[in-house]
Parts: sequence; C-alpha cells; structure tokens
Amino acid sequence: MYLPDFDYYAPPDLSEACRLLREFGSRAKILAGGTDLLHKMKHEEFTPEVIISLKNLSALREIRSEPGQDLLIGALATQNEIANSSLLQEKYRSISEAAWNMANNQIRHMGTIGGNIVNAVPSADLPPILIVLGARITLVSTEGERTVPLEEFFLGVHKTVIRDDEILTQVIVPAQTTTGSTYIRFGLRKSGALAIAGVAVAVTMEGEICRSARIVLAAAAPLPLRARQAEQVIVGQRVTPGLLEQAGLAAAQESRPRSSIRGSTEYRRDLIRVLTRRALHKAIQKEHI
Amino acid sequence: MTEIQSPGDTYSVIGKSVKRIDGKAKVTGQAKYTGDLKFPGMLVGKILTSPYAHARIVHIDTSAAEKLPGVKAVITHKDVPSQKYGISPARWDENIFCIDKALFVGDKIAAVAAVDEETVYKALKMIRVEYEVLPAILDPLKAMDEDAPLIQADYPHNINTEIHQNFGDVEKAFAESFYVRTDRFVGQRAYQTPIEPHSAISLWDGDKLTVYSSTQSPHYFQYYIARQFGLPLGNVRVLKTYIGGGFGGKLEPTGLEFAGAALAKITGKPVKMFYDRHEMFAHNRGRHRQYMNLTTGVDKEGKILGVHADFLMDGGAYTSLGVASAYYAGALLTILYDFPNYRFDMYRVYTNLPACGAQRGHGHPQPRFAFESHLDNIAHHLGLDPIDLRLRNARKPGTITPNEFKVGSCALQAAIEKARDISHWDEKRKTLSQGRGIGIGLGAFVSGAGYPIYRTDLPHAAAVIKVNEDGSSATLYTGAVDIGQGSDTILCQMAAEAMGYSFEKMNIISADTEAAPHDFGAYASRQTLMSGAAVKQAGEEVKNQLLELAASSFGVPAAELDAQAEIIYVKEKPERRRTFADVAREFFVKKGPLVGKGSYIPPKLGGKFKGAAVGTSPAYSFAAQVTEVEVDEETGEVNLVEAWDVHDCGQVINPALLHAQVHGAFFMGMGESVWEEVLFDKKGKILNANLADYRIPTALDMPQFHSELVDSYEPNAPWGVKEVGEGATTPTMGSIANAIYHATGVRINSLPMSYEKVWRALKEKRERDSRANV
Repeated sequence: MYLPDFDYYAPPDLSEACRLLREFGSRAKILAGGTDLLHKMKHEEFTPEVIISLKNLSALREIRSEPGQDLLIGALATQNEIANSSLLQEKYRSISEAAWNMANNQIRHMGTIGGNIVNAVPSADLPPILIVLGARITLVSTEGERTVPLEEFFLGVHKTVIRDDEILTQVIVPAQTTTGSTYIRFGLRKSGALAIAGVAVAVTMEGEICRSARIVLAAAAPLPLRARQAEQVIVGQRVTPGLLEQAGLAAAQESRPRSSIRGSTEYRRDLIRVLTRRALHKAIQKEHI
Repeated sequence: MTEIQSPGDTYSVIGKSVKRIDGKAKVTGQAKYTGDLKFPGMLVGKILTSPYAHARIVHIDTSAAEKLPGVKAVITHKDVPSQKYGISPARWDENIFCIDKALFVGDKIAAVAAVDEETVYKALKMIRVEYEVLPAILDPLKAMDEDAPLIQADYPHNINTEIHQNFGDVEKAFAESFYVRTDRFVGQRAYQTPIEPHSAISLWDGDKLTVYSSTQSPHYFQYYIARQFGLPLGNVRVLKTYIGGGFGGKLEPTGLEFAGAALAKITGKPVKMFYDRHEMFAHNRGRHRQYMNLTTGVDKEGKILGVHADFLMDGGAYTSLGVASAYYAGALLTILYDFPNYRFDMYRVYTNLPACGAQRGHGHPQPRFAFESHLDNIAHHLGLDPIDLRLRNARKPGTITPNEFKVGSCALQAAIEKARDISHWDEKRKTLSQGRGIGIGLGAFVSGAGYPIYRTDLPHAAAVIKVNEDGSSATLYTGAVDIGQGSDTILCQMAAEAMGYSFEKMNIISADTEAAPHDFGAYASRQTLMSGAAVKQAGEEVKNQLLELAASSFGVPAAELDAQAEIIYVKEKPERRRTFADVAREFFVKKGPLVGKGSYIPPKLGGKFKGAAVGTSPAYSFAAQVTEVEVDEETGEVNLVEAWDVHDCGQVINPALLHAQVHGAFFMGMGESVWEEVLFDKKGKILNANLADYRIPTALDMPQFHSELVDSYEPNAPWGVKEVGEGATTPTMGSIANAIYHATGVRINSLPMSYEKVWRALKEKRERDSRANV
C-alpha cells in the first residue's frame, strides 16, 4: 500500500494556507493529524491532487480561555492535548474524557479536534459532546471568517457546510449554564475500536427537576443525531430511574443506526437505549465529568 | 561463574530464568528482521492477486507494466515451474502462480520486481488480467452439494480430506449410557496475526540460491524451494534473522520465496518480497472454521462411556496444513479424558476463500472449546460440579488412548485440583453475583509431532556444539527456530547444562540451513523436547571428551569425574578441580577442535489405522484453566476479570519464558474467544484485514493472570521437559465459554462469543423467560 502522488504544501501561516486552498479548492485536502486522511488516501477513498499541511500553524494548537469568557480550542489541538489539558480537565472534564477514551495513545498523539470534526464520520467521538455543550466553530477563508454552530455543521457522511476554500480554525465552547455533561461510548474492545454507539448529554438540573437537556448520539445516523424526543421525555420532569429508561427508549426509537460488520442495527439501537440512560444518570449525578 | 552448590545432583543452568539471549538486541532495536535487511542493488518485489473468488484467467497482459521506468521484471505462471506444491505431500495443490483459474480473492497471478516499492505498486496496477468470473463457494456447508461448482479438478464434491475413525463401539456405549447428549458448535476463521509481516529476500550466486526468510522452518522451505526449482538441497540456503512471531502461519512456503527466487534469477539482483497487513490476511493459513457436532454418553456418575465427534471444516481454496489440521481436530479429543469408545468423522472441504492451516494449537482449540462447553452442559444436566465431572474422567499417567496414543507423564488431576484451589472455585461458584461467573476448561497438546510433515528418515533434530579454542566461549549450531518463543535461550541453557558450562558464555547460530545442522523447525511445540534432546546429546559429548582428557591429569578414570558450571572435578573430592576453559584449551592443543554433536529421532509411535500418525508424540502436556468473567447483561460486553492457568509441562528450563508463553497463549486464546474473526463480503473479499477491525485484544483487555505449575517429569524427554506454548491456548475458549454460562445462564455455541452474540442470547433468554411467566 502506498500514497498516490500529490503535490505538497506546508504554508507558514494561516493566510497563505487560505490562499492555497482558494487556489486549489476541491482538488486539495487539508492535512492536520492525518490519522484518517492518509489511511483513506492509501485505500484510494480520497485522491487529492494537493495536500496542504497545517503543521506550521502552531497558533492553532492553543487551548485557552479568558475569565468569564468562552473556551477556545484550536483546531490543531491533538486528542491527547485535549485529554491532558488542565483547563479542560477542570472546566470541561467531559470533553477531555471523551478525547481520552476515543482512541489509543498513538492515534491520540496525532489526531486533532479539527480533523475529528471536519472528517464528518458518524462514529466521531468529539462532535456529540461539543454539540451538547453548544459549541460553535470558526471557518476561515480568504474572504474572511464565519462562525457556525457545530450542530448545524454536519450534513451527512463526509458532508458538511464547509466550503472548499475554508479552513476550520477553532472550536468555541461557551460558558455553561448546564450543570452536568458526559459522553459514553461503546467500542468492541477496551481500546483501539471505533464507537459502535455513543451518547453525549448535557443537563441543567434544579434539585431533582431537569430544567433542560441536550442529547446527541454518535454512530446512530449518518451525522451526529440530536435525540429531541428523548430530551422531551425528561425536560421539566422530576428525574426517576423509570423516566431515564423512557428517555433511553425514545433515543433508541429516533436513532437510525446502520448495520455493519461492527454491529447490527438492532444491537446498536439497544445500546443507544442503555447508553442514553447511563449517560443521563451520570450527568445528573455528577457535574460535567 | 555459578558456584557449585552440591555437585552432581542439582542443575546450575536449567530451571533458571536467565535473560533472553536476544533480549538486548530486540529492545534496543539492533535486531534486524528480514524486512530490515538491504543488499547492494536489491529490488523490491510484490505479487498481483486475484480480485475474484473464483475466476478463469482468460488473458494476462504485462506489457504496460514492463514498460514502466524502474520495473525490472514482470512474471506469470509462464516464467516459473508449473509443478504443484504444498506442505502436505498427500495433497500438493498449489502453483506458484495460477495457471487456469484463480480460486480465491488473493490468489497469486503475477509478480513484479522494480527499483522501489512505489514503482512496484504502480506496476501491479498496470498488469491487465482478463477474467471470466465463475460461481464461487463461500459457504462450506454448501461445498459438497450436488450442484456445487468444482473448485479443484482432482477433488470431487470439493472434499479435500475425509476421515472416518472408529474405536471401540460407540453405539453400544450410547445404548448403555444413562444420559446421551448432542450439541452443535461452530468455530470461526481466525488469523495468527504475527506482528512481523511475512518477507523473503532471494539472492542467486550462479546456481546457488540463498533465501533470507521470516520462517518457522528453514528446512521445509529449503526442501520445497529445492524441489520446485530442481536444485539439490545443498544449493539452497535458507536462513532467518529475527522473527516477530509465527504461530503456525509461517511454517509453509508463503509464495514470496518462489516468486522472489524467480524474479532474482531473471533480474540477476537480490529481490525483497513482503506482504503488507492486508496481504497477510489474504495469504492466511490461519485457523479453520469448524462445524462441530458432539455426542457423548455418560453413566449416572458422569463417567464418559463414548464420544462421537462429527465435524466439518472450511479449508479454503488449498490444502495448506489442513490434512493434519483435520486429523488433529479429532485425534486430540481423546487425550484429556479417559473413555474407551470413540468415533470421529470429518470432512475438510474446499471453498473459494483463503486457505486455512495451522494456528497455535493446530486443529485442536475449536474442538476443545466445543468439548469443554459440551461437558459443562452434561455436568449441568446431571447436577454435577463441572470440576467434579472432569476429575471423574481425567486421564491418568501411563495410559493409552483409544486411538493408541501412549501417555507417559500426566499430572492432569493435580493441575485441576490446583486450579480449583487457587481460583477459589468452590466459593466463587456459590457466591458470585448475577453477571459474574467462573468457568473451567482443560487443554492438552503434543510435545512435538511423532512424524515429520513429509515422509523422510532424517532425524527430527540435530545439534553441534563447538567450543572456542581457549575454552572461553562455545557456540551451539542448531536448526531450531526462535520465532520469539525463546528457543535460542533455552537451548543454550540446555547446552551449557549438558556440557558443565555456563549460559553466559554460550553463543548460538540457529535456523540457517548451511551453518547449522538440520532440524524441522518451530511447530507442534517440538523444540524444547526434540531439539533439546539433540542439544543435550551434543553437550554431553563435549563434556565426555573433556572428562576423558582431564582423567589423565587427575590420575582417575573419567567415570569418576564430572563437570558443572565451568568446573571439572573429581566427584568424590570436589576440591580437586580444573576449570573448563583450561581443559578445553588443552584439548584443542592436543586433539584439535572440541566439538560435540547430537541428533534425535522419536521412538516408533502410534497405531496402524489410517491417520494414526497425527497426534502421536513422545509426550503430552496438560493444562487446567479457570477464568472469571463479568458480563454486562445489558450490552453483552464481556470483561475478563481474572484467569488462572495450571500447567503440567514437565521439568521447566526457564520459568520466566515459560510463564511468558502461557500469558501469550491465554491472550491469543481469549482473542479468539471474544473478539477475533476474519469476515468476508458476499463476493469473498475480506472485510477486516486490518488491526482495527480484526480485533486482537489490547493490554487493557487482558485480565489479571496467574500461571502456575504442578510437579511433573517426563521420562521420554531430556531433563523431563514437555511443551507449553500451544497447550496453553487450547483450554481458553472453553473456560471463557463456561464462565459466560455461569455468569449469565446463556450458552454461546459459536466463536467468537462477541458482545453482540452475548447480548442477543440474553435478550432471547429474557423473552423465553417472560413467555414462560405469562
């Protein structure tokens, strides 16, 4: 197996990267961690004529927040940098845990948050937890920049609203009014296995009453799926074990997982029921872990 | 130098966890594997394979590929000998390249040699092959159907191997049984997944061919390469450097040697051939998928009276080692439990899938999974503790199986009892909570096959030891193959022990058909016993020569001397001593090189019936394994909590390496139990030829593991040794299956016992239970 021929650019800064992307458009692919892109190129699923590496854009690796402000995660932050960030561990442990659990160490060293989003595969682990926390993303081109709610970013497998000339530069996680959040994934071994089902939840609790809830499912549809019916089951209600099970059932019903060698539709749907209930239980019990 | 503690009655080298002789080279990265080697002008070669499971080859056009700059040769069946080869002489059914038909996705069509890897890949794409696609058989259960397409012209009904063995009177035994039970089990296609890919570098010097190969057996490679190209054995040198695992998948020629040798001959350059991960899966030779019907009759107390094993195995497109796999599947079922009546029926059928062969434990692990699960079902029906049922039937030492295997040492009963005690079985069987369970499985294996793979009267193993002229070091020359299991280390320990020398001064040259004497190689768990026997003899010959010489200087007969830990001494007066080096130097001055040699031929073994040879061995190992699992009854996730292996493997040469083997064997067995399965699409293409979706376990999946031993000494072996490396894989699947059953009350009859299968079985059980309650 080998990489098909391509022209390679490693621009020194973002503006040059944008210029190159404007020039080559759909003939180019952006290289960040490469954990998905290079694999797909070797299998000829992608055959870009041009690769634009972002390796020199170190400013895009930063994770920072100003007091009382949004949290900013650079698109090139690796999964390990997210998992190990003390800032994230303190304020958004659910994000750092999701990054920690999503892949093995070698992949986490290379894979980036931007890649995990832009690649737009149903089993991606970071989008669901980011969506339930209300994250937005910044897309930059030679025309300027725009901010898009992550929830509105995905259109289908490998399909998003990003234009051929745009680069995802950062993820913005707003200051939270939610009281708890978590992401639970289910893989077919303890490490190094894609999620065959995943559930992210963020809740706002007031005593035993659930004031708001957002539930997003991974590997349950061609794109991260907001489980609105499941949310409606618990919002405004006093939380009981029976209610959480009902929410799980609702999430399972509205999910549309496919059958694959990793799991049948029937199995994945039942996993979604169980994981939804467990994730809700965890997010309600404990704050943002 | 080790101090002699009590001369003559203790061992100074064996029985100790000396450091691996290759450990430093491997951990520092100095160790060169075949793929690391470079030779001046070396080309890279690869094989083009069939994209169709079954297709007639209409035309091959290599012209475009030949014109690509950097391409040095493109070859097809027209450029190589057309005679068939294989590893099982009874069924030579492979060609170097397909001549008329491709028989599976991955079958070898052509090969390219070029200046670099990228050019090779590009050239492969430029070879135009016109195929006429034929109907394929992907389901082994349909292979023998009347209207099934014929895969290999010489094998009607696609039957590759058919076995019908009958010992005693099974029907009568069933008629006299208190309880007769039949269960059906299904295994899966598993793959050895060695970390190091297969590779071979071929170089010609005139009519002499040298092949560096990642192989478990330089000898078989040498034999088959010489045969294929019409060369005397002496004109073919096969050697290996370091090997990153084999597990049975590197025992037979891989095709890389043949294609590489042809390409090297044509181009006049060294050619390196290798498989990438996907190609390794396609070449396969992994575990057969077996369909196993077992019927057993027992008396009221659970004593087994008779067993009928009725099996079918999916062989894939070629024989590989499958004839032996088929015989092993049934032959070894008689080893563990003592029953007089046994019938074994087997069909190994061809399918249009990659050929299956020998994988750790050979044909035995899946039938053992089936039998151990089946026995638990019987215990459950009779209301017996599964361990009590096993103890009631456990084989005793000095017995003969119904298929005429002589079992010498056997500490199975002690192993079962120890496994029961150290796992706190009795308590856990009663107190574990729902979803948590503990199960037992037993295992056994040969310590080397009684007969070689092809018919020959060559000794099974041979060794030479040469002592350096000043006695400061010695080199062991052996054809035995260290594929990671540690044979180089333990054979040096054995050599040093036999010579009265020390391990630290040993060097080894192994697995080189030119530099080292013949040995059949690393398979059937044979080297500790068989290669060890040859090494011991060679070491003793060295020692005896030294004692003879020293006798005159001490003024006593040689019989009154001994040597240990580099000291030659008078047995009755140990203070009268000379160093080994001193005497060895004197020997060289007076008599020339100090060399010892040894060889090993097993005793005549086995019965006279067809297939009687398979399963014969000078000695058998035994194991009891207990596993504790935790099952998430909502998701079906199986978590292995803790496991205990108690082995009867005779005298131990190196405890650290032995326990490492057991850990690895369990790890591999648990992978096949829960995670691993090679999957195909509806056209016979592999869906998961990668380490992401062919899920070998990770370190995180490994439970807390205990490897323990029972006292045992095998009289038919050097220092009483037996095997451990394969035997410890055989009980695992059964022990995990039985633990899952104990945890959940559901019996998973097919491998792997994946999370989804467990989930589905639990769901169906809940549905049955709720219907019953209505």
